[in-house]
Amino acid sequence: MGSQSRKTLLVGDNPFHNISHLSQDRARSRGATLTYPEYAAKLIMTSFENGASGFMFSVSETTLSILRVVHEKGEIQHLGLYAIVPYAYEYVKLATQVGGILGLAKKLSKDILLSRNVSAITMGLKGIARTDPISLMKAYLLYEINRIRYSAGKQANLRSLVLHEMITDMALALNLDWFFKSYVDYILNLGLTPGFNTCNFPWLVNKFKEWNLDLHNIVAVAPFNQAGFLMNPSKMDCEKALESTPEPILIAISILAAGYLKPSEAIDYIANLPNINGVAVGVSKESHARETFKLLKEKLNR
Amino acid sequence: MCEKSSITRRFLKKVFNDVQMIDGVEKLAGLDLDAVYVTTPIPSHFSVAKALYECKVTQNVFVEKTLAWSYEEAKELCDLAHSLGIINMVGYLRRFCVTFRKAKDLLSRNAVGGVSSFKAFAYSSDFLKTMRGSRAPISRGGVLRDLGCHAIDLALWFIGELQVSSAKLKSLTASGAEDSVFFRVKNSSGLEGEFCVSWNMRNYRMPEVGLSITGSQGVIEVNDDRVELRLNNGKSSILYRHALNDNVPFWLGLPEYYREDLHFVKSVLDGSNAEPSFYAASKVDEIIDQVERRAGENGQPK
Repeated sequence: MGSQSRKTLLVGDNPFHNISHLSQDRARSRGATLTYPEYAAKLIMTSFENGASGFMFSVSETTLSILRVVHEKGEIQHLGLYAIVPYAYEYVKLATQVGGILGLAKKLSKDILLSRNVSAITMGLKGIARTDPISLMKAYLLYEINRIRYSAGKQANLRSLVLHEMITDMALALNLDWFFKSYVDYILNLGLTPGFNTCNFPWLVNKFKEWNLDLHNIVAVAPFNQAGFLMNPSKMDCEKALESTPEPILIAISILAAGYLKPSEAIDYIANLPNINGVAVGVSKESHARETFKLLKEKLNR
Repeated sequence: MCEKSSITRRFLKKVFNDVQMIDGVEKLAGLDLDAVYVTTPIPSHFSVAKALYECKVTQNVFVEKTLAWSYEEAKELCDLAHSLGIINMVGYLRRFCVTFRKAKDLLSRNAVGGVSSFKAFAYSSDFLKTMRGSRAPISRGGVLRDLGCHAIDLALWFIGELQVSSAKLKSLTASGAEDSVFFRVKNSSGLEGEFCVSWNMRNYRMPEVGLSITGSQGVIEVNDDRVELRLNNGKSSILYRHALNDNVPFWLGLPEYYREDLHFVKSVLDGSNAEPSFYAASKVDEIIDQVERRAGENGQPK
């Protein structure tokens, strides 16, 4: 990634999926407006006008619709796109409806075939024929990249493909070094930055060091906030791990601890951390978008 | 690892090089296993757990909720565990969630005085958009065993033994499907409670369980996100997960998974009792049987 003084300021997509990590009551009270692509696209562009430089999103029909709107408005090339895959919630829900993991695998295979993406289909067939999980992973990643490009257009500036925390943390727990190596190599070959969303930031850093994987090449997407919310095993351990990274690899998420903290105090905490590459923050109103990104720009990118 | 599907076994073998893959429970015998987790669909819990004891695979067994498909099966497993096993536990995850633990603590300290009534709910949107006639809800075993069991387990944990006094079931997705359930309970001291359970609710992106417990001195309201105490003297407090020390040494999906696993493993290592045990969990199966019987008396499915 290389050292940089300017922080990447990203709009997060949680509000657009009607997610609140504070409480489901809060998400319900917001109503459905936030999930409308036109409204969400407008919030993203307002954030961009006030200092945001990109959009971090889970790849779902909701966020792809938002990208289509931004693309149609001719603004897509301004945004750095950080795509999180897979959108675990959607796949878990689908698995419950189509008969578990095997049913899900069948549905996904069908979707990949219907996408007519030759590279993804070829890689998928290779994976099935050889019982090769790496080829299947590549087929899936090509399929998701194709979905993003189809919705966001050729001018889209896809910067990073970030593995969802469920996959990252499961692979960390199982010590699957070969999986991380294959993912990093493959994503770099595609000209993108490999990303890892995790709720166990110190584990990720320590395992990468242990496996001699180059931390310079990746972004880590992990919760960092004054309240220590979602920072495992502890706030202090996460801060120590951050200090130990050779480069600013971290894109901090949950910086407002899901609305538990006031923006000003939350951003002050982030501004004083070392090795921060950027932040991703969700916004739910035009005024939030303006105020939050103005504040982030002022305090992080003076 | 024991897995029936040969395709899944082949892929898992590639992912976990050093793990032996088996296609039948009886083949686990002789491997000198310290413990076994049963994570199969609910209808097979009984036969798998029974085989584990009878084939002398292990004396320590963890079964995902619900323990069995009926109270009769649950009682048989309790007897087997008592005669052939040592540690047994059922995966009622919410007992390890910080908000419910806090509520349990408040109740055990008599924070709202003597409890006179409660209301419990368990809602999700899992099958809200399911096509009429789909078999998926039926194959999941019904909303009571899939989701409602958590609310029942918490009520039993908080309050103690309960008897069902009336019940209504609704089939919304297909004939014979158990999609929505309302039932009332009481205990020998005159305490009364009611349960609303549905997987066809709007705006429950994630499954949510909650209870409102009324005592002589106030009310405790608790769900997956927060615990609120409102006393008759006007004092009140709300605690979110943020304030309840929710961090864990390793996060995977939710912190309660870690705590649950730790409790079981520690119990196996120490030889100490694990809770919820088969016996405690069998009481949930008993309530579910009572609900289905009561609803049947009204000419409703099952």
